Amino acid sequence: MRNARFVCMPRSVEEAVAAVVEGGANPLAGATWILRAPLRGEALAEGYAVLGGAEDLCAVEIGEAGIRIGAAVTHAALSVALVGVEGFVGLAQAASEAANPAVREVATVGGNLCAAGFAASDLAPALIAAGAEVEIHSAAGVERQSVEAFLAARATRPPGWLMTRIFAPCSARLSAHARLPLRQAGDYPVAILSLSIERRADGAIASARVAVGSVEPVARRWPGLEQALEGQTLDPDAAAEWARARLGDFEGRDGVEAPGWYRTQVLPGLARAAFRSLRAQV
Amino acid sequence: MALSLTINGEVFASRRDPMTPLIDVLREDLALTGAKAVCREGFCGACMVLIDGRPAVSCLTPIALAEGRDIRTIEGLGRDGEPTPLQQALEAQDVVQCGMCFPGMVVTLTAFLAAEPGATRDEIKRALVGNICRCTGYERIIDAALVCAAGARD
Ligand SMILES: Cc1cc2nc3c(=O)[nH]c(=O)nc-3n(C[C@H](O)[C@H](O)[C@H](O)COP(=O)(O)OP(=O)(O)OC[C@H]3O[C@@H](n4cnc5c(N)ncnc54)[C@H](O)[C@@H]3O)c2cc1C
Ligand code: FES
Ligand code: FES
Repeated sequence: MRNARFVCMPRSVEEAVAAVVEGGANPLAGATWILRAPLRGEALAEGYAVLGGAEDLCAVEIGEAGIRIGAAVTHAALSVALVGVEGFVGLAQAASEAANPAVREVATVGGNLCAAGFAASDLAPALIAAGAEVEIHSAAGVERQSVEAFLAARATRPPGWLMTRIFAPCSARLSAHARLPLRQAGDYPVAILSLSIERRADGAIASARVAVGSVEPVARRWPGLEQALEGQTLDPDAAAEWARARLGDFEGRDGVEAPGWYRTQVLPGLARAAFRSLRAQV
Repeated sequence: MALSLTINGEVFASRRDPMTPLIDVLREDLALTGAKAVCREGFCGACMVLIDGRPAVSCLTPIALAEGRDIRTIEGLGRDGEPTPLQQALEAQDVVQCGMCFPGMVVTLTAFLAAEPGATRDEIKRALVGNICRCTGYERIIDAALVCAAGARD
């Protein structure tokens, strides 16, 4: 019988999977969510597996087809790795603007996506907009699913699984990430709008992927706005109006920082800001 | 099993739960009370220390993740009891008010100005996003940091 908490240090993905799936350890990444458990009225787990010692979980690989991000890559490391990488401006903005400098040094991509009940993740909408997928190891084997599908089922997934990698396809898409914290920076954004677009030869939008975070409990795509954007030009004010016409698509969550209605009302402004960022990239 | 922590150059063995926040070991076991546990949420920066030279919120750092790394607290920044040039600049400009945030401010700025001696006002503000001060309004802290940065460049 274990009478004290155990913390193990796997040195590879295989060891980390074994510790979590067979050994009953909980993944411990940057610990910035886990150590706030007492403030949420939650108990710490009996055992943890530190992910940062497994080198392959901490690597970002950029290839022709796409990028592969280890789940234990920190926000700071991701924003450095994405400098100058075409198609990932929005993801780089999300990684470099979330939280504060000390938190970005340790908080990881996996921790940001896996923290149960965390609604204000910046990386979640940015990765959905990038069309990313996650790789999950569990007793059932290895599965790959879209970030959106992973998030939608996150709360009901039985324990004993490990996210190992995140894949995002490379493309010629333009992308942007717009967020609204109540201070200028440093606190959780009350709403986030991330998008990526593909353009036609005439410059109009051929297809758009729009994701909204922090407004509802779980980040998700905004199909109504995606459809409205098809065939349109990069007009920030028009984008704000199309967003305003579809605010009924969301039911904002009430929280200490902001009531639900406020979170939805700021979405047109975020659409405008995201489009300004897109325009600046053309 | 004891964890080995290297704090301000000295090695300590801690038998605490490996998930104990580093701030508690610093303050309760080692009487290093410069770092403050104010929010315990990573928002205020009052508990900031350097881990391997980088600012880290010690309230959200379990000691298991600090083992074997170089931990430096505000008490370990000066040499032979002499304040650092940054501390001297803050004092000379009469910046400090209640002082609650200052150990954290100094730790963050020490690492930042060492890496970015030519930092602009805006860059210094961005570096301080995770350090909250309830008293000063920040501008004079940044004035002092700029004076210090200019001194280091001359
Ligand atoms: C002051 C502050 C401000 C912040 N602001 C923002 C912000 O503006 N935007 C934003 O997006 N985030 C922000 N965050 C970060 C966010 O709230 C989480 O704390 C953080 O993303 C968690 O990452 P971590 O690596 O520290 O995870 P941990 O705390 O280590 O883990 C979080 C959870 O995920 C699980 N987990 C971790 N990795 C894996 C994995 N690979 N597979 C399976 N499960 C895993 C853990 O078991 C745990 O349940 C902020 C945090 C703080 C402290
Ligand atoms: S006490 Fe650690 S950040 Fe506030
Ligand atoms: S001087 Fe009082 S909090 Fe900063």
